[in-house]
Amino acid sequence: MRTKRLRTVLTALLVGALAAGCSSTPDEAAPQETGPVDLTFWTWAPNMDKIAAVWNAEHPDIHVTVSKQAGGDEAAAKFLTAAKAGNAPDLVQAEYQMLPSFVAAEAVADIKAEVSAAKAQFSDGIWGLVTLGTDGVYGLPQDSGPMMLYYRTDLFTKYGIAVPKTWDEYAAAARAVHAKDKTVYLGGFSSKDPGWFAGLAQQAGGQWWSIQGESWKVGIDEGPTRKVADFWGGLAAEGVVDTQAPWTPEWNAALNNGKVLSWASAVWAPGVLSSNAPDGKGKWAIAPLPQWSAGESYSGFWGGSSIAVAAGSKHRAAAAQFATWLNTDTKALDLLIKEAAVYPAAKGGQALLTTAPDYFANQPDFWAQATAISSSARGFTFGPNVNVAYSAYKDAFDKAVQQKSSFGAALTAVQEATVADMKKSGFTLVS
Amino acid sequence: MTKANRGARASRAGATPYLYLAPAVVLFTLFVAAPIGYTAYLSLRRVKFSGLGLGKKSRTEIFVGLDNYRAALADGEFWDGWVRVLGYAAMVLTLMLGLALLFALLLDSARVRLPRFSRIAIFLPYAVPGVVATLLWGFLYPPSMSPIHAGLHAVGVDGVDLLSPSTIVFSMVNVAVWGGTGFNMLVLYTQLRAVPRDYYEAARIDGAGELAIALRIKVPMLAPALVLTTVFSIIATMQVFTEPTTLRSISNSVSSTWSPLMNVYGDAFVTGDLYSASATSLVIALIALVPSLGFLRLVRRRAFGEER
Amino acid sequence: MSITASAEGAGRVRRPLGLMPTAVLLLGALYCLLPVAWVLMAASKTRGELFSTNAFAPGTGLLENLSDLSAYRDGIFWQWMANTALYAGVGAVLSTAVSVLAGYALAKFRFFGQNLIFNVLIGGILVPSVVLAVPQYLLLAKAGLADTYWAVLLPSILHPYSIYLARIYAAAAIPDALLEAGRIDGASEGRLLRVVAVPLMGPGMVTIFLFQFVAIWNNFLLPFIMLADDHRFPLTVGLYTLLVTGANQPALYNLVITGALLSIIPLIALFLTMQRYWRTDLSGGSVKS
Repeated sequence: MRTKRLRTVLTALLVGALAAGCSSTPDEAAPQETGPVDLTFWTWAPNMDKIAAVWNAEHPDIHVTVSKQAGGDEAAAKFLTAAKAGNAPDLVQAEYQMLPSFVAAEAVADIKAEVSAAKAQFSDGIWGLVTLGTDGVYGLPQDSGPMMLYYRTDLFTKYGIAVPKTWDEYAAAARAVHAKDKTVYLGGFSSKDPGWFAGLAQQAGGQWWSIQGESWKVGIDEGPTRKVADFWGGLAAEGVVDTQAPWTPEWNAALNNGKVLSWASAVWAPGVLSSNAPDGKGKWAIAPLPQWSAGESYSGFWGGSSIAVAAGSKHRAAAAQFATWLNTDTKALDLLIKEAAVYPAAKGGQALLTTAPDYFANQPDFWAQATAISSSARGFTFGPNVNVAYSAYKDAFDKAVQQKSSFGAALTAVQEATVADMKKSGFTLVS
Repeated sequence: MTKANRGARASRAGATPYLYLAPAVVLFTLFVAAPIGYTAYLSLRRVKFSGLGLGKKSRTEIFVGLDNYRAALADGEFWDGWVRVLGYAAMVLTLMLGLALLFALLLDSARVRLPRFSRIAIFLPYAVPGVVATLLWGFLYPPSMSPIHAGLHAVGVDGVDLLSPSTIVFSMVNVAVWGGTGFNMLVLYTQLRAVPRDYYEAARIDGAGELAIALRIKVPMLAPALVLTTVFSIIATMQVFTEPTTLRSISNSVSSTWSPLMNVYGDAFVTGDLYSASATSLVIALIALVPSLGFLRLVRRRAFGEER
Repeated sequence: MSITASAEGAGRVRRPLGLMPTAVLLLGALYCLLPVAWVLMAASKTRGELFSTNAFAPGTGLLENLSDLSAYRDGIFWQWMANTALYAGVGAVLSTAVSVLAGYALAKFRFFGQNLIFNVLIGGILVPSVVLAVPQYLLLAKAGLADTYWAVLLPSILHPYSIYLARIYAAAAIPDALLEAGRIDGASEGRLLRVVAVPLMGPGMVTIFLFQFVAIWNNFLLPFIMLADDHRFPLTVGLYTLLVTGANQPALYNLVITGALLSIIPLIALFLTMQRYWRTDLSGGSVKS
């Protein structure tokens, strides 16, 4: 009798579940743009639901529901899997480097018709990240990560070094600091952050992917990036830069207790510093990245993301409308800054930033400097298999750091892995 | 049990056992067999791009036969991964099961104090999710803040890097042993508790000591459970994934292909190549089958002869 | 291995080293508890203390961390806790029921296809969950079940390990003679299951329930793949979103660690309440019924 009951319950559960599944399918066939539209939005930006609530209050016809996601490598795979299953959200936050693979997988829509009017709001370099150098537009830029040098003013004074203007000066300072105290480093090389290295390569003028006609050109192992790799490889071999894995408690502690004097990072670093190095409040300052030649003024981007509309969305126009509002409307940009702690990609948004972050209260012109640096960032095109290249970067440079072997050879390995993967997938490559 | 009474019961069983097994079989079909079938299907396919791969219709899914399998088998890193995993598995199996057996026998012997406390404490790591374990070892292994290093320093050992290429495997073994001993101990202990106490009384009357009882009565009694834990541990260590992935985030010594299953994870969740991931995962399942079946075959008669 | 040797030695020389087994067990307990003690200490630290003070020194921020965690996204942490309890509780009950039925059938009946069914069910464990998760998602999405509670619950029910355990327990705990006697008395199979099999398998069921509960409580990959709406997340996925918040935001270490501590507490409570069932003496029970 007990079994019978159990069996009945189980059967009922399964049948009920399957029935529930089937009954929910017809919804998807709802006619387009009549009556209120419901949009789902995958994002990892904090408090995005509050921003969406503001939109929802003003737009009763288009309702946006935010699903908070984890960021990281897996976020992209999760979206691609959902798209493959026909289960993707209408809107998705996409890191710039992931956008080409989303486009290649036909998971995001070309929204050029809907959003081209917004182009004027963004610098050409940033806009290039969502057009991928093609005729289409695959998303609206949300935030960007221009790179700059964060340094400890008090410790620079203590060790008697000036803010390095060139990478040569940086190398000299790195040697000087480490010579004075073996436990202290001027800065670090990260084999775990391909995005960081890509930003430095951009600054040097590297173009890892480019489009020539109907073919891709992979230029990872070329002059500018080579220069960057050899520079850090030299410092790592001398042992004067910190090569431990970043984003660990150990690394946080080093930032916090002054064992690392500077960090070549992006505009979003204040959040990281205030959270993980609270003791350094008021002691850090920013300067432009050291340059490859004196008198130059270049930067690169590390991080940043766009808002894309899924190819499977039944409400493309409404979704594009929301994405445009979110990333260009003054009120929305203000909310992005205050609620989501985002450094907006839109020019109008950057103008809204006036009060320096609390952590940088000692540097009132923080945002003015950041904006100046941002405009000096060089453009970059990401290819369709950035994840393969980034994964290869971590393996190759982990090994190079560990074995103190040539960084140039590691860079060659990254180039080869990237090219091999593209060939295997059938992309046309410039020979 | 003899052939004769098997036959007798079979004739009476009728539909009952099938009814009892139905929920398990239905669930298996829906959530194991169907996904495996789908995996097998995917493993024979791949996405092919043309040109830049960015325009419409520049992407097709094609049938590639066994190409994905060939690629997986031809990958040197994949086989290097197996070599690393074999060394790791040997250490984990010996230490983890050895400790689990020892603890289970000690708990079951009458003369131990605070058995409940020890049992719960040893089982506790099993309750710690992988995400938390990642954090935990991230704080405990690196030198500057680690109590492990402080402890080593106190006994005069300095400069041990727990995350270097030569020591990382021991750090992984430690995470696995820490997390897995309690579970296996509990399986063995539960089995021991299922043994009627009067078995031991007879032995005690014959003058056998606790050790003799443990070795001559309890261990053989545990044979089926030991086989079970060993086979499942072999399979689990072959699929090792959490420990290296955990340590990878805090060390430069672990590559993204350290263990074979990490290849699968990288393909499926980092580079988004479900097709290669499918082929590689089926290869891993087949390879893991070999030692498991081998071990079962080796011990089957002995272990299951005693099951009833 | 040296530990094993010393413990065996303890057995041989019984009187003088009578405390040796206890000492060995306590050492094991200490080894297992230390990292957990670290979580407890770390959860009491403020941000600054976390990266600067001794690992096992208590901090001053426990209450602050707790209130920060409760305030995060309007208390979503407690929603995750409730979700996890639902997934683990319902999942483990169903899983135990399915496993016990299957294990009992496999251990105490002879029927055509028995070995085949058993081997196939157990063979399921050969396929890593990393492998199953994606196709499971694709198939459930086709059924319209992705991003629902069902998507996490249904695939969690079947567990080969539990079926194997149930079979072993049934074989060991239920004497064939008792079933035969019941059948001779004319008891139906359903009655035998209810009156004989289930009570005798009690302790085994508790173990299976516990394993399943913990396994589902700690499961990460399946809910991570299946769910998009964080109001349906279990704790593991929720904590992971706190830890990995995207390239340009800091991990919320304090919240994650405090959340981790809170996520272990229900399991500890469960062990403590469940453990009296493990002490039930199987042979004693069998005589009474």
